[in-house]
Amino acid sequence: MDDSPRPPSNEQSPPPPPPQPQSQTGTPTDFLKGVVGKRVVVRLVSGVDYKGLLSCLDGFMNIALEQTEEHVNGRITNRYGDTFVRGNNVLYISADEPL
Amino acid sequence: MASQILPLELIDRCIGSKIWVIMKSEREFTGTLLGFDDYVNIVLEDVTEFETTAQGVKKTKLAQTLLNGSNIAMLIPGSEGPEAN
Amino acid sequence: MDSSVTGIQEPFDLIRLSLSERVFVKLRGDRELTGILHAYDGHMNLIMSDVEETIMIVDQESAANGHGVVNVAKRKMDMLFVRGDGVILVSPPSRT
Repeated sequence: MDDSPRPPSNEQSPPPPPPQPQSQTGTPTDFLKGVVGKRVVVRLVSGVDYKGLLSCLDGFMNIALEQTEEHVNGRITNRYGDTFVRGNNVLYISADEPL
Repeated sequence: MASQILPLELIDRCIGSKIWVIMKSEREFTGTLLGFDDYVNIVLEDVTEFETTAQGVKKTKLAQTLLNGSNIAMLIPGSEGPEAN
Repeated sequence: MDSSVTGIQEPFDLIRLSLSERVFVKLRGDRELTGILHAYDGHMNLIMSDVEETIMIVDQESAANGHGVVNVAKRKMDMLFVRGDGVILVSPPSRT
């Protein structure tokens, strides 16, 4: 691709670029966009923590994690390759590395 | 007639300020409010979690955190939390 | 492993890719299941076969003493429907 300015053309002008995703708006959606692919702590209502790499999630806060460690009372109690966590159990999702 | 303000408008005015979040269970959070949505899912920064157990209050520091709105009971705008006084 | 490699766009993809595989399911009430996953829906209702259920029973008295004796009960079922609202997590076999 050549990124020099294009000559003017008679073609229909391209649609305006989508609004720049603001890096520092703080809605839950913005947070989730920023945190996918990062290391996170997912704490369940029961107090159990799942630490791992956040693969993806949906609007119900259903979560897919990779390289998951289950922590109970500060001790690792299980390791899973991949994990699906049902969203209703989720208390919070917290970044475990700088965003 | 008194001017009407919706509950979530009040919370919207707290974005960027400290907020104290009290959950339905024995658990509380303080932090800087970054944003929220219609379900009152809440994004906080520089968070402290307070968990009250029989052994006492357990504190946990957290970075940017999304709190699930379904477990939230109350929000106290502008408060540094349970240890403010 | 990157999600672009594993082809997971949404959490349910993880479950879809585990159909006909042996999965681990953690349920509310300290119950765990392993079995072959045959079907699921958006509630995470599950149909599983060849299931082994593990129930953790913590003895309250010894737990209070800090010993934390856990009795484990196991049983087998041929075919099982799991109501989705009890599901905490599902872990598929590692695809390595």
